[in-house]
Amino acid sequence: MKVTRRDLLKFGGAATAGLLVTPVPWKLLDDVSIWTQNWPWIPQPARGPVEVKQSFCTLCPHGCAMRVRMSAGWPVGVAGVSSNPISRGALCPLGFGAHQLNWHPQRLRALRRRGSSSSWEEARAAFAKACGEGPVVIVDGQPGRAASSLFATFAQKRAGSYRVVLSRETEALTPYEAWSGVPAFALGYDLENAQTIVSFGAPLLDGWAGPGRFARLWAERAAGVPDPQLRLIQVESLLSRTAARAWRWVPAQAGSEAALAAGLARVLLDEHLVAEREPAAPLILVEVAERTGLSMEAISDLARTMVARPPVVAIAADNNPAIAALNVLLGAVGARGGIVKKSKRADRYVPAEAEINSARAVLIDSTVPWDFAPHTSAEVFRFAAWDGGSSPGSQADWLLPAPGFLEELTDVPAAPGSAMETYGVAPGLAKAPPGVESAAQFLGSIDPALMTVEKTIHSRCDDLFHGRAGTLCGQQSIPVAKLASAQQVEEQLWKGAVWVDDSQHGNDFRCELQEWPVTVRSAQAVQWPQPWPAPVLPPLASKLYQESGLRETAEGRNA
Amino acid sequence: MNARYGMVIDLDRCTGCGACMVACAAENNVPPVTQASPRTGLTPMLVRRVSNRVEGGARREAFIPMTCMQCEHETPCVSVCPQQAVEVDDATGIVMQMPQRCLGCRYCMTACPYHARYFNWWDPVWPAGMEKSLNPGVAVRMRGVVEKCNLCHARLHSAKEKAAAAGKKEIDAADYIPACAEACPTGAIRFGNLADHDDPVAREARSPNAFRLLARLGTEPKVYYKSTEAWVRSLAEPGESLNLHSEVKHG
Repeated sequence: MKVTRRDLLKFGGAATAGLLVTPVPWKLLDDVSIWTQNWPWIPQPARGPVEVKQSFCTLCPHGCAMRVRMSAGWPVGVAGVSSNPISRGALCPLGFGAHQLNWHPQRLRALRRRGSSSSWEEARAAFAKACGEGPVVIVDGQPGRAASSLFATFAQKRAGSYRVVLSRETEALTPYEAWSGVPAFALGYDLENAQTIVSFGAPLLDGWAGPGRFARLWAERAAGVPDPQLRLIQVESLLSRTAARAWRWVPAQAGSEAALAAGLARVLLDEHLVAEREPAAPLILVEVAERTGLSMEAISDLARTMVARPPVVAIAADNNPAIAALNVLLGAVGARGGIVKKSKRADRYVPAEAEINSARAVLIDSTVPWDFAPHTSAEVFRFAAWDGGSSPGSQADWLLPAPGFLEELTDVPAAPGSAMETYGVAPGLAKAPPGVESAAQFLGSIDPALMTVEKTIHSRCDDLFHGRAGTLCGQQSIPVAKLASAQQVEEQLWKGAVWVDDSQHGNDFRCELQEWPVTVRSAQAVQWPQPWPAPVLPPLASKLYQESGLRETAEGRNA
Repeated sequence: MNARYGMVIDLDRCTGCGACMVACAAENNVPPVTQASPRTGLTPMLVRRVSNRVEGGARREAFIPMTCMQCEHETPCVSVCPQQAVEVDDATGIVMQMPQRCLGCRYCMTACPYHARYFNWWDPVWPAGMEKSLNPGVAVRMRGVVEKCNLCHARLHSAKEKAAAAGKKEIDAADYIPACAEACPTGAIRFGNLADHDDPVAREARSPNAFRLLARLGTEPKVYYKSTEAWVRSLAEPGESLNLHSEVKHG
């Protein structure tokens, strides 16, 4: 048979038409599209056994309890732990993405000495030399930990000093320390028993005292109720997230909080709304109205509203003594629902100052926020897990790479502002990269006589057991008195339980105040984000900052 | 009986913290795209800020977590998809998106009245080493496909596996909760089976303060909102458009 050109064309046409009704071309098209979309550099999740472990978030001093999902030995997800009496199952948005922080491009992986690379041997030699030549100051951002006691011991042995950087919550308690002699770290806010809370700019619904503690309380007792059991009054120049959800928003001018507190005190005394007679505020109401931008009627009405549903407590965003004095006048100091004493044992710490003189060397722990950069002529050794970029803290003489998120064993003392003494243990769950050392390990290598963090935790567990007080709150609540050995206490803590001191200490705390404190404040609105210990944000925080507009600076807001 | 999973979001309780957004992204292996903008980011859960449009001391604001509304009736994205890459699962009521079938034509994004769908503009890339932190239960999606909330379907699979291992046919309700609902620090996002009359979430959906966005379209969303404030409820009324902050409008 002769095959003509026409036959070939017919065959080709028929084959093409036939092919189109088969799945072959469509499957090929689909495969090509999938192939071009799945390049080898697209990551695939690591496979491995999945297990859930308990720990605590150590990014800030609030120490929220965490359930950490681990796969192939790495944390792949975190969630809150509802049995924790402080965090109550909540985490902040940054905490939910914190397991990715250890691979942040700004992770500090090598030592740097004034911008050049260096080694641990050189750093150790330089620090040991400095210790021999003069006093050493050690600065801590999360006091009360096992590492903190190690720092204090080291500084004491070298005739140096141990300083702490206070959290906002503790800073607001310092006026009471000055007036009562009780250390600020032994004080807390009994928010759980308050019925009216007047916040002077404190971001109560924005992570203040931990992301879960007040948020849960507010959700249970105030949200969506016209006349709630818990009245939250927010005094703030901007309509912040806390102000937006508060029972009442008082838009006083920025920087006028002290004046408003004085004005409220004046109304409380003039209208005999409080039992106390002193201290008398020096301002008259007309002046207060002028400074705050509120009407005299509004200030009087606010004062009456405050005391209408006791217990009432005023909360300051910083160490404003006028607001502390208002609490004294309201009888909120040492009282249920007010400022209470939570512990008899808390140490008195010396706050780190912006200027450190007469020191040969300053060692700054990785828990200190990056915005703390002291003016000093001393040699500064700064531990950090992440590079601070252009923040002033990066100007330290030595930048020493520290363990990152969940990469080291640490203990978790009571959260700042908490009304209960608590204690937890956060085991290191992730593998630290090579060449990373904590400040405690560094000091231990210089002075081998120092107790290690692990042994200090062990000793503290021993103390808890022999104290026979408190309860271990984990999957079940177990009174310490029912446990047979210190080892059992330690085991429970390693499994994620938290020790809670349930004894009452609040009644033996009084403040003596002779005159109304004079406060001068700059007119500056407090902005989000609040100072955060890590210099970098988890990459997924882009959802908050650049994709949602939820976290923005004050300039863009309508007051 | 088939389940109808849905949510009731209590706007009185939402403080706009954004924990739901980050928890969702971490759970579903959403890449942290540094060049993303409000228009191009991947945010299966997005919290929007709304106001009563009054200036000064009488101004009020609220936060609305927006996600796929899981439309039950004439689901717009299902109707328009030329690839059958979207379907409503009969057993659960979840509107499923299958990236392997998706052409990336974005017809579904145009059809979705809630702007709850997002296009994957970039290759999913993480900083070196960060792939170790990815959730092994969820596959990484490729560039060029549309994504959306699937009510953490991987968690439903895990719950089913757990039930099967225990010899049960039904999952335990406590084993299946999406990441956003689990993360919400105030309990504003509640998840449950709307087909179960006695489910607490189904009861809340029947509350007089409950409403659905753009209910007039008749798509029967399975995400309900709740608010005691009339101005917030009025935002969902026919003829009203959401008073979104200008920075968070999505196209």
